[in-house]
Amino acid sequence: MAENERPKTHEALKFYFTPVDPPRGDELNPHAKATTYVPEVVEALKERFGDVIEEVELYAGEHTVRVRADKIVEVCRFLKEEQGFNYLADLGGIDRFTDEGRFEVFYNLVSIERRKRIRLKVRVEEDNPVVPSVTSVYRAANWNERECYDMFGIRFEGHPDLRRMYMPEDFEYHPLRKEFPLLGIPGSLPLPPQTPGGPLTYDPFARAHGHVPPPGFEEPPAEDEEVSEH
Amino acid sequence: MLDLREGFLTTRLDVLLNWARSNSLMPMPMGLACCAIEMMAFAGPKYDVARFGSEAMRFSPRQADLMIVAGWCTYKMAHAIRRVWDQMPDPKWCIAMGACASTGGMHRCYGVVQGVDNFLPVDVYIPGCPPRPEAVLHALMDIQEKIRNEYSVALDYAKGEPRPPAPPVRPHVLSPEGDEPVAREVLHRPLKSI
Repeated sequence: MAENERPKTHEALKFYFTPVDPPRGDELNPHAKATTYVPEVVEALKERFGDVIEEVELYAGEHTVRVRADKIVEVCRFLKEEQGFNYLADLGGIDRFTDEGRFEVFYNLVSIERRKRIRLKVRVEEDNPVVPSVTSVYRAANWNERECYDMFGIRFEGHPDLRRMYMPEDFEYHPLRKEFPLLGIPGSLPLPPQTPGGPLTYDPFARAHGHVPPPGFEEPPAEDEEVSEH
Repeated sequence: MLDLREGFLTTRLDVLLNWARSNSLMPMPMGLACCAIEMMAFAGPKYDVARFGSEAMRFSPRQADLMIVAGWCTYKMAHAIRRVWDQMPDPKWCIAMGACASTGGMHRCYGVVQGVDNFLPVDVYIPGCPPRPEAVLHALMDIQEKIRNEYSVALDYAKGEPRPPAPPVRPHVLSPEGDEPVAREVLHRPLKSI
């Protein structure tokens, strides 16, 4: 290299692009990707499980399969072990607020090798919202199911540790249910005591109602108060 | 017995003590959300809170005397914050930084405390979402001014003459009309009548 010549562009300046699925050519939805369009998996599910599959929906190029709640573990195991859907991307609840089949639990599954996605759904009734836990198939479902239990009160049978995820243990409600008021129920969540040894504060707007937490140090006494002589 | 009424010695000691306290505040950074990022900028070299002597952030409540609650506070976290506050030694001060810590802000929902002043004695509120680091510096200067107006040693506040307020730590804000300064009462709450 000549003395004043600059070095060639550095190796590290190469860019690597993540490959993106080409558009599937769906006329209704030009943004639909081939990833979520999985008719062969739906066919395999229908063949294997028959009437366990309650409904197959194709919307915006995405396949959603609704299955019977008591067979969800078997369906997940089949998809994981035989179809390669080895990654549970998301799991959560939906409150449809209908008389029948009020709660829904959805499972977003991804096959990393095949670069495919599928969504499963189960429906449960309001009186007995119990769904079998899929933690035996996907360990990632553990916290998602806890969150779903916390927010909707859907119980997951066979979950190793079904506790609340976000709200305090002694909270009595399930806040993402439609009937729960947005600002909460006064008195259901206590605030800390106003003084170190004091009782819990059950008023969520204590300050607005005149309960001002006293500062830690002793405030100067009022004018009419007796002050001991030093 | 030592006379702790308002006299030459005690007032001079007060001045000395308040000067020392106000210029060596040790903040307890209670960073709960995105305001904590602005709080870091406030401590960093660009805005440089070291100019005000508060650069020593203490993550132990026993070594701190100024709590900066930065971010939205849930009901679950409120108990932890109050516990930390109770462990801080007196005298101590509190800044509610940002809209969420002051009023709940945009988080008007079941899980978020609608203002940390429901369980903490807040001295200074900072508006903004999140506030600029300058605003936090302004709040710190407000706290300093408050400290310089406090009684630390003199215990004669009940009987002595009202003390004249300490000189302001920064120039008065001028009114838009001209040179007439904005009334002191507008800028900060005057001392309790004594």
